[in-house]
Amino acid sequence: MKFRSLKYLTLEGLKNIWVNRLMSIASIGVLVACMVLMGAAILFSLNVDKALGSLQDQNVVMVYIKDGITEEETKQAYQDVKKLANVKEAVFIPREEGVDSLLKDMGDQYKDLFAWVDEDQSGSFLPDGIRVSFTDLTKYDDSIKQIKAVKNIENINSSRELTMQIIGMRKMITIAGAWIIGLLMITALVIIANTIKITMHNRKLEISIMKAVGATDNFIRFPFIVEGMVLGLISALVTSGLLYLAYEMTVKQITKVMTLEAIPYSSVFWGILGLFCLIGVATGCIGSVISIGKYLRKEGSEFRAF
Amino acid sequence: MFVVGASGAGKSTFIKLIMHEETPNTGEVIVNGYKMSQIRRKDIPYLRRTMGIVFQDFRVIPTMNVFDNVAFTLRAVGASTREIRRKVSHALSMVGLGAKARSFPTELSGGEQQRVGLARALVNNPSLIIADEPTGNVDPNMSYEIVELLTEINRRGTTVVMVTHEHQLVRDFNRRVIMLEGGTVVADNSEGAV
Repeated sequence: MKFRSLKYLTLEGLKNIWVNRLMSIASIGVLVACMVLMGAAILFSLNVDKALGSLQDQNVVMVYIKDGITEEETKQAYQDVKKLANVKEAVFIPREEGVDSLLKDMGDQYKDLFAWVDEDQSGSFLPDGIRVSFTDLTKYDDSIKQIKAVKNIENINSSRELTMQIIGMRKMITIAGAWIIGLLMITALVIIANTIKITMHNRKLEISIMKAVGATDNFIRFPFIVEGMVLGLISALVTSGLLYLAYEMTVKQITKVMTLEAIPYSSVFWGILGLFCLIGVATGCIGSVISIGKYLRKEGSEFRAF
Repeated sequence: MFVVGASGAGKSTFIKLIMHEETPNTGEVIVNGYKMSQIRRKDIPYLRRTMGIVFQDFRVIPTMNVFDNVAFTLRAVGASTREIRRKVSHALSMVGLGAKARSFPTELSGGEQQRVGLARALVNNPSLIIADEPTGNVDPNMSYEIVELLTEINRRGTTVVMVTHEHQLVRDFNRRVIMLEGGTVVADNSEGAV
């Protein structure tokens, strides 16, 4: 197709949006509603994921080193654990610090019970330990096995069940989010396809003449694709603005009644805008191609029967 | 050339075969060098560019003015703006609508609308014009004007195939006449009216 044809057809596509403005507004409205739901699902998933992520970060494993080994051997055990692939952070906790921390956690109530610790000259009843956090919790079991295999490791104090629950929840939220987004994308596709179908029926006469004078299918198709893509793009821009307002207001209201460390919209603005533009343009393009393709193969092929 | 026949005689099928809207079960249709049995789907638009079609119901686009209606054909084939301007002006002056280039179809009579259709059919210099009952929706006087225009186009070297059931017109314009009946050519008189 020649450049001047592309220019003419692009302008035709834009003109169609204006000529069928009521239909265009209706389509944008429905698409925006669809995308707002999609955006809400994304933002909700991101926030829950962030909350679970921080819970996951707090979920550390205590690794205890054997008692009665040399300082050199203790250091080596610590270094070996630290070097393991999935270890995000490994902090060495000397036995004295471990006991202090434990006493602090238990509070003054049980202070008398552990009074002997201070009197015990040998130090502490706890061995030296390493506080370990993992990069990828899905490799939890393997990582525990690897730590156990390190020389001079006495035992590991882990909360496997909680970890698995967090992994399960994150997975569930990801899957649910993907389903919601997928279903809403299909809805958006159907909306665009229907709009284009109606536009095509309105322009049956032009299409029949185009076919009669020797316009190629691509020439006929192009303005409809432009129309679909622009409708998608406008919807994406409107949605991003609306979502920003709605999100800020919702977060403000929630933080009034509870502590919430929500993701700032500014951090996801460009990502969401880009995603919506992509979804809008892609659904617009695919929806138009489907509708016009079907039409050209059926009714549109018989220009004399118009 | 006139193609005549009663309803159901096969006139429309004949046009459909020429335009490659239908393919024959047997035999071969060759139009402007294109063999219909061998033509690929992507080549059909190029076949249609070698011909112009005039419809009974004019088929002018009401939202476009006369100039744009005629220019439509050239835009579909990717002509330049200069070429469009030159060819459309020429086609409109040929059909006597040079002064109405900016008018909209609703401001024109039926005969004028059909002349827009005629200008649109000949603007791309086709070697064949198919007129499908072009006088069916216009008054008798205008019918004669339209056929006279088609005769003039034919005189300039373009083949014109006109499907009609107006016997008086056929008699008055002494041209080749093909008569169809039940899908068969029952008469072909290249000398004049059947």
